[in-house]
Amino acid sequence: MKWLIKNARILSATSPWDDQVLDLLLVDGVIENVGAGLQDADAQVFNAGASLLSPGWLDIGCVHGDPGFEHREDLFSLAAAARAGGYTAIAPFPNTNPPSDSQAQLQYLKHHKAHTQVDIHPIAALTEGVGGQAIAEMMDLYHAGAVAFSDGLKSIQHAGVMMRALEYVKPFRGLVINRPDELFLSAEGQLHEGLESTLMGVPGIPPLAEELMLYRDLRLADYAQSRLMAYNISTAGAADLIRTAKGSGLEVFASVAALNLAFDSTQLLNFDSNLKVLPPLRSAGDQEALIEALRDGTIDCITSGHLPLEADLKLKEFPYTAFGAIGLETAFALAHTRLEKVMDVRLLVDKLANGPRRVLGLPIPEIKAGVPANFTIFDPQKEWVFSDRHIRSKSRNSPLLNRHLKGKVLATFFRQEVQINID
Amino acid sequence: MTTLKQQLSTPHVLGIKDLTPEDIRLIFQTADEFKEVINRPIKKVPSLRDITIANLFFEDSTRTRISFELAEKRLSADVINFSASSSSVKKGETLLDTVNNILSMKVDMLVMRHPAPGAAHFLAQHIDASIVNAGDGTHEHPTQALLDAYSMQEKLGDLKGRRIAILGDILHSRVALSNIFCLTKLGAKVRVCGPPTLIPRHIAELGVEVSYNVRETMEWCEVANVLRIQLERQNIRYFPSLREYSRYFGLNKALLDELDGPRVIMHPGPINRGVELTSDVADSEHSIILQQVENGVAIRMAVLYLLAVSRS
Repeated sequence: MKWLIKNARILSATSPWDDQVLDLLLVDGVIENVGAGLQDADAQVFNAGASLLSPGWLDIGCVHGDPGFEHREDLFSLAAAARAGGYTAIAPFPNTNPPSDSQAQLQYLKHHKAHTQVDIHPIAALTEGVGGQAIAEMMDLYHAGAVAFSDGLKSIQHAGVMMRALEYVKPFRGLVINRPDELFLSAEGQLHEGLESTLMGVPGIPPLAEELMLYRDLRLADYAQSRLMAYNISTAGAADLIRTAKGSGLEVFASVAALNLAFDSTQLLNFDSNLKVLPPLRSAGDQEALIEALRDGTIDCITSGHLPLEADLKLKEFPYTAFGAIGLETAFALAHTRLEKVMDVRLLVDKLANGPRRVLGLPIPEIKAGVPANFTIFDPQKEWVFSDRHIRSKSRNSPLLNRHLKGKVLATFFRQEVQINID
Repeated sequence: MTTLKQQLSTPHVLGIKDLTPEDIRLIFQTADEFKEVINRPIKKVPSLRDITIANLFFEDSTRTRISFELAEKRLSADVINFSASSSSVKKGETLLDTVNNILSMKVDMLVMRHPAPGAAHFLAQHIDASIVNAGDGTHEHPTQALLDAYSMQEKLGDLKGRRIAILGDILHSRVALSNIFCLTKLGAKVRVCGPPTLIPRHIAELGVEVSYNVRETMEWCEVANVLRIQLERQNIRYFPSLREYSRYFGLNKALLDELDGPRVIMHPGPINRGVELTSDVADSEHSIILQQVENGVAIRMAVLYLLAVSRS
């Protein structure tokens, strides 16, 4: 099977053709040739129309339900949603049932047929049963293919467990990921603590809950001299903490969710449960600080925060609804819509394609002859309205339905699998 | 009632936050007329004939439920009542399904009390009937705030520039938030007072003063609206004990006697006697607690009537 991609502007710092509009010829999922004016009568043609082509994107921390909650998302639907959003690789969290806390669970993920659609790099549970109490068999999990360790949606509260985990992974330079959230402070909180939570009569989640826990994690990482990623920070204070830690030479990383870049807490005033997410949407000032932290390298990557949930968990009274929104299909478009005027698309794509791989220590796919195809083609100028027909996830809990977005993923090429998105 | 041609600016009464000062004045003006009606020998008017109202109470309530029901009956509406404990509904049928079932029986208006903040807003986004929020968790209780302000106005005249204190558990009170919106819209000066753990961190951004000193606050104010300690809404201990609360944040006669003159005392009920308010204060001549209850019926008649007018 041959594919000829015409007129793609290559966006890859490691490629000799960076920033040039060229053609690519693929044969059986491998890039055979890159150049101008390529022809092949047998090939199927995809005309990129001078759209951008970058290494395929990778999402850290997306959530699925395979096994245990397949009605929300199985690995096939997760892969399809990822591909629709421009991702050719995912590093999913272990919050399944049972959770990915054993070699057997990881084998299931590593050998799943969905690998034909996307590369799955599992993040294994940090503690047994993601219970937060006793560290999991991390050595074994590492050898079974875990790229990092985390209890995912569940923030590790126990400082001793966190410290032992950070120490235990040192022999194999493992990475510990924690979502910083001091649960005694965020206890009954439903959204960012501020004027909006006051107006809504709903308990707030203070920025301090995130910052205090992040401070603890950074001190522990320093104490253990180990590697830490703060998953999806949301406050200006958290960005400052990461900046200082990086400055002191600690090997720490941080991500931010696309939703936290695009929306602030004022959007919740009408009790829109699809915007009830963790970390919560913060203030406009926090947003600005997060954008600056992306720009100066404090924040390494942008995540989709993808968390699929059935309708029943969202279509009810605000305090009773679950936290989370799907996001794989829309992360790029949402972030680009928000950042278009303040951030070069090259940097944005770096945070989607390269940043996540640098964090996880994975090779960045190259755009050159002789390597398997692994790239995303997208048009930053294309305006579109996100609707139900664009959703590939099994769940529909998106705050973006019927919203106008700018920037669209047109196609992804991953080995032999070609996905061309609908308009 | 034909003299009133104005309408409310909103299709529902979900909270005071969404009402304009003109809406509030229109409700008061309408309530004046209904108050006159309910003091007649025949207390009933045909204003809501052929209108069916469902009272949905997902949380216990005595006075609010009875007050609404009386208001509806005095307006000649057809009334159905539904009560359920929130827990049984949470486990079983969703709120939306429950309400849609009731609406399919051709109900025109809903009055809902619910433990979840935003529950009334949630319904308003998904259904067609007019909704009156009769209290949604720790969010708003608009008719209570309207009757409070109406009662204050009866006692003091125009509230512009008047000094009103709200004492007690501000954090867990839907009445406090609605009171603040309503009183500030009418130009009053509002101060909230209670232990710091029971005062929301960002409350001053709503244009109110914050105090932790009851005596000072009582010296400052003309009216004290004393709120109920909401023990049932506290999963977390926000203050050490009722004993300590009543000693340092409760109102008693000795404290009031030391002030330079009487203060109007209000309470939305039910009172924890001896905790936030001693009986000799609650039952004193300066307390207008029972007038509040009486005015509640007139205010709720006004709200239901005005919503029905905008519906037609």
